[in-house]
Order: sequence, then C-alpha cells, then structure tokens
Amino acid sequence: MLRTEKLCKRLDTFLIQDISLEVSAGAYYVLLGRSGAGKTQLLELICGLTTPDKGRIFLEGKDITHKRVQNRGIGLVFQDLALFPHFSVKDNIMYPLKVKKLPLKERVERVQRVAEEMNIADLLLRKPENLSGGEKQRVALARTLVTQPKILLLDEPMASVDASLKDSIMRMLRRLNRNGQTIVHVTHDFSEAISLASRVGVMHNGQIIQEGTPDEVFTNPVNKFVARYAGIKNFFRVIFVRSYNCCSCITDNRIKFKLPKGDYPSSGLLIIPASEVLLSRQGAAGVQINNIHGVIEDIVPSPLGYEVTVNAGDHFFADITRREMDEQKYVTGEPVIISFRPESLKLVGEGEEMNKY
Amino acid sequence: MKNHTLFNWIFTLLASLVLLFIIAPLIGMFLHTSAEEMRSTASDPVVIRSVWYTLAIAFAATILFAIGAVPLAWIMARRKFPLKNIVQGIIDLPVVLPHTAAGIALLGFISREGFLGDIAQKAGILLVNNGAGIALAMAFVSLPFLINAARDGFAAVPERTEKAALMLGATQSRIFFTISLPQAWRSVVSGFIMMFARGMSEFGAVVIIAYHPMIAPVLIYDRFNTYGLSAARPASIIFILVALFFFVLFRVLATERRQIFRREDDAAD
Repeated sequence: MLRTEKLCKRLDTFLIQDISLEVSAGAYYVLLGRSGAGKTQLLELICGLTTPDKGRIFLEGKDITHKRVQNRGIGLVFQDLALFPHFSVKDNIMYPLKVKKLPLKERVERVQRVAEEMNIADLLLRKPENLSGGEKQRVALARTLVTQPKILLLDEPMASVDASLKDSIMRMLRRLNRNGQTIVHVTHDFSEAISLASRVGVMHNGQIIQEGTPDEVFTNPVNKFVARYAGIKNFFRVIFVRSYNCCSCITDNRIKFKLPKGDYPSSGLLIIPASEVLLSRQGAAGVQINNIHGVIEDIVPSPLGYEVTVNAGDHFFADITRREMDEQKYVTGEPVIISFRPESLKLVGEGEEMNKY
Repeated sequence: MKNHTLFNWIFTLLASLVLLFIIAPLIGMFLHTSAEEMRSTASDPVVIRSVWYTLAIAFAATILFAIGAVPLAWIMARRKFPLKNIVQGIIDLPVVLPHTAAGIALLGFISREGFLGDIAQKAGILLVNNGAGIALAMAFVSLPFLINAARDGFAAVPERTEKAALMLGATQSRIFFTISLPQAWRSVVSGFIMMFARGMSEFGAVVIIAYHPMIAPVLIYDRFNTYGLSAARPASIIFILVALFFFVLFRVLATERRQIFRREDDAAD
C-alpha cells in the first residue's frame, strides 16, 4: 500500500534519516515517538507538503515522490485540526467536494453521509469556534474522509481531546480501520499504540529505531528508549559475570542480580516489568530468587493501585494493589525487600547497543 | 496602593494632555468660524467640487493599487526569499520620505521626460496636472498603510489552514481566495481605510505633481496663501467633516459586517 525507501530530509534542527517503512492495505500503523522526533515531518514528506532530499515514496506500487499534493490520494488530519474558522461545519466538509466540482446533489449527499458516520449531523450549521475538542476532531476527520483517501494520516489525533473523549475517538478510529481504511497514526502515547496499532514504528531523532507488532515492540524493546515507551521503568545497565555454575550481573551501582543459566554478552541492558517486582518486609523464599534491600522513597497512586519507588542504590519500581497496601500499610522511608525471579529479567540490548538513545 | 493611585493620576494627566493637543486646534478652528462663513463656503461650488474630487481620486487610487498591494502583502507574509528585509524597507520608504521629496521623485518618473510619463504621453495621457497623476501621488505615500496592514493580516492566518486546503485538493489561487483572504479580510479592509484616509489628506506630493485640478488640501493651502487664515478655515472644516464622515462610514460598514457574521454564528447555535 504505502512504502517509503530511505527517505532523507535535512531540517533546521535535525535530519530525517533513511526512513524505510511499509504499511500494508488495511493496516493500522502507529508511529510512536517523543515531540521533535520527526514524526510530523515524516507525515508531511509522505503527503507531499515537503519534498525529500533523497529517497522515494510509493503508494499502491506507484512512485508518488514528486506527485502534486492534490493528486496523491492521501488524507491528512493535522494535530491542530486546521478547520477553516470562517466556514460552517458543513462548508468545511464540503470544501474538498467543491474543489472537485462535484454536482451539488452529490456533494450534499456525501456530506450528510459522512456527517452521520461521524455522528456530527446535528453540528453542520455551527462554526468551528463553537465546537468542543472532540467535535472538532470528528469534523476534521469527516472533512478528510469525505475525499475517500487511499490512506489516512493522523497527526496526534488525541492531542486536542480530553481524556474522557479519547475512548470514543479510539473506538471510531478502530471502526474506520475495520471498514478497510488504511491508517498511519502519529503519537507520543504508547497506550494509543497498544490500543490501536496492528504495527508500530518507534521513531527517535529522525530515525525509526524499532518496528513490529505492538507485542513484539513492547515485550522485546531493542533499547532503553523503547523500553521507556513501553512503560518499563526498571532498566539497568549491567556487566555480566560468569562463574562455575551460575550466571549473574552487576549494575552500575554495584547491585548484583542472579540470572538464569545462558549465554550473555559482556555488558548489556536489563529490564524487569514492574508487575514482576514483589515488595515485602521479609523477602521471598528460594535460593534463586533475587532479594534486594532498599528503602521506600515514594508511593504514588496508579490506575491499578500504587506504584512504589524503592531506593536500593538503583531505583526499583513495584506495582502493588490497593488491597496489599491496605494490609501492609507501607510508608515512605521504611526499609523493605524487593524480590524478583531471575526469569523476570530480560536482556534488551547488548554492548554498544545499550548506550544508544 | 497609594503609589498605584499616583501612577494612575500621572498617566491620566499625560494622556489627557496629548489628547488635548490633538483636539484643541480643531475645536479652536470651529470656534473661530462663524455660521455665515460656513454657509457661504459650503455653497461655494469650487470647494464642493474640490472635496468630491479628492474623495473620488483617493478612493480610485486605493482600489486600483490594492490589486497589486494585496498580493505583495501575501508574499511578504508567506514567502521566504533573499533580501526580504530590503523589500520591506522599500515598502516602508514612502512613510519616511519628506512628502515633497516624494513628489519630486514621482514627478521625474511621470513627467514627459520620465519613463512612465513618456509611455502615458504616447498613449495620449498627461499625468502631470491631471487626476491620474494625483492618484499616483496619493498612492505613492499611502501604499505602505495597506500593504503592512494586509501583511499582518495574512501572517495571522494559521498556515495550517492553507496546508489543509492544499491537502483537500485546492489550488494555490483557490486557497488564496477561499481561505487566506477571508481570514485576513479585517486587516485588509482596515489597511484599505487607512490608505484611503492617508491618500485623501496628502498635500506635499500632490502639490508638486498637480496644483490644478485642485484637491481639497491644495485648495485650503491656496485659500490661505491668497486670502489668509480666516478664508482657509471654513474650507478646512468642511473637508475635515466630509473626510471624517467617510472615514467613520467605512469603519462602521466594516464593523457592521463583522456583527452580521457574529449574528449568523449566534443563530447557528
């Protein structure tokens, strides 16, 4: 469907470097990255608002690198939505149909149809300034969808909607995708990627540093940056130590972890999901279990209970339930033991790889 | 709190002095002119013709030059190009030039020996001592007001809306007329009014190009030179009143349109 080949573009502050990505028909591709990673610039390259210095763009097998923006068949919804403030909602949606000089009857029918699909039929006579963030988002989507784009590009579509409306927008996007619309969605929020994506690309400093299904990317992050994006906070640079019958490693702050038997490089980056870190006052039993002494530094509420930060030289993050908190009544400054099985440790980068990003 | 009050008093006093400085001469002019003088001047066909002539030429010059000035304003707001600052300097030049010097420069350009004057003469048009020459002089000194106001208006239009229109298939010209210009409309109209107002009050450049036919500022100057202050006052008052009337009328029309838009919005709610 959409394929880019080594796209390069020098911008004022950084460089889009060798971006090669492939989005198949009907896919929901989420491009994930921090602000300033180059995501919006990549979208603008794909849709033709800027031209690449090098590389090519193919849509449905045809080279569109130098095709006029108007003729690419790509729809883009901007982060700030860019609704025309001097037009009503109806005129906003009808604008591309007027441009195409479609007969009035067809224009009206198509506007009505898309307005009903987007659940904004009752807003058609309003001006954009009188709409809520969620309504504006729907109007911007309707205005783009009415052109029946081959591929829909969304630049941070949740940026202007409040948290309570995110779910309904996500449901709408899922429905669009189920109906066959190919979507490329740019965001900085990994939860959007998990909820929506059939494939994810993680972008950093103008490069795509990891790509795959959400499961592949978030369970096997290639480095610390992606691990952070996956919501993993327990990551440690380590040096691996081999002895006669066991494997272990030592963090930068001299904390020793027992590891399962296996081959390890000389150094690397280890992660432990917070859900696998147990917190107690007496430690967990078992020869192989890692028990590490530390002091509770912070306790903050989280959607599932509490996130407890333990300072043991390195910082560890443990998720505990409300019930456990009620029973144990942990307080900050209290000495505790954090425990985790060696199997919970995951090597996500090795050697020089771990120092990237 | 006490300091704050003192601050307010001082600023109010200074502001009042400046306002008084503007209003006092005008009030003085009204007080020193009798009703009889006003009546006779208002019925003087030379004065009336001159006032209408001034308004008509200033309006025509504004409309005519807006055709080029608005696109120039858009380019200045939207395009990046080498020496853009120098181009902006050129646009602002008429504001800083002494207006008589501007008239002299323009005269060299539009007189029979000048480039434009030569072309116009071959087409059978004399620009000097003619309404066309007066319009050029008015436009020369007042164009920056329109260009700069329109430029600010275009710059304030969110560029994303223009890009969105491009993504929706519109051509550059359609984007200009349907997206950019309607959003910058208030600033363009405001610039238009300022250019018109500045053009009709021009004296220095016009008097070099054409003493006759007399526009109102030249007529006032002529009355003053020939008959003195008391003869110039009533003509000045009439011109000021008429100019104010049209200035306010355009402003009201612009506001009226804005309110119509707002009422439509409210109705839509």
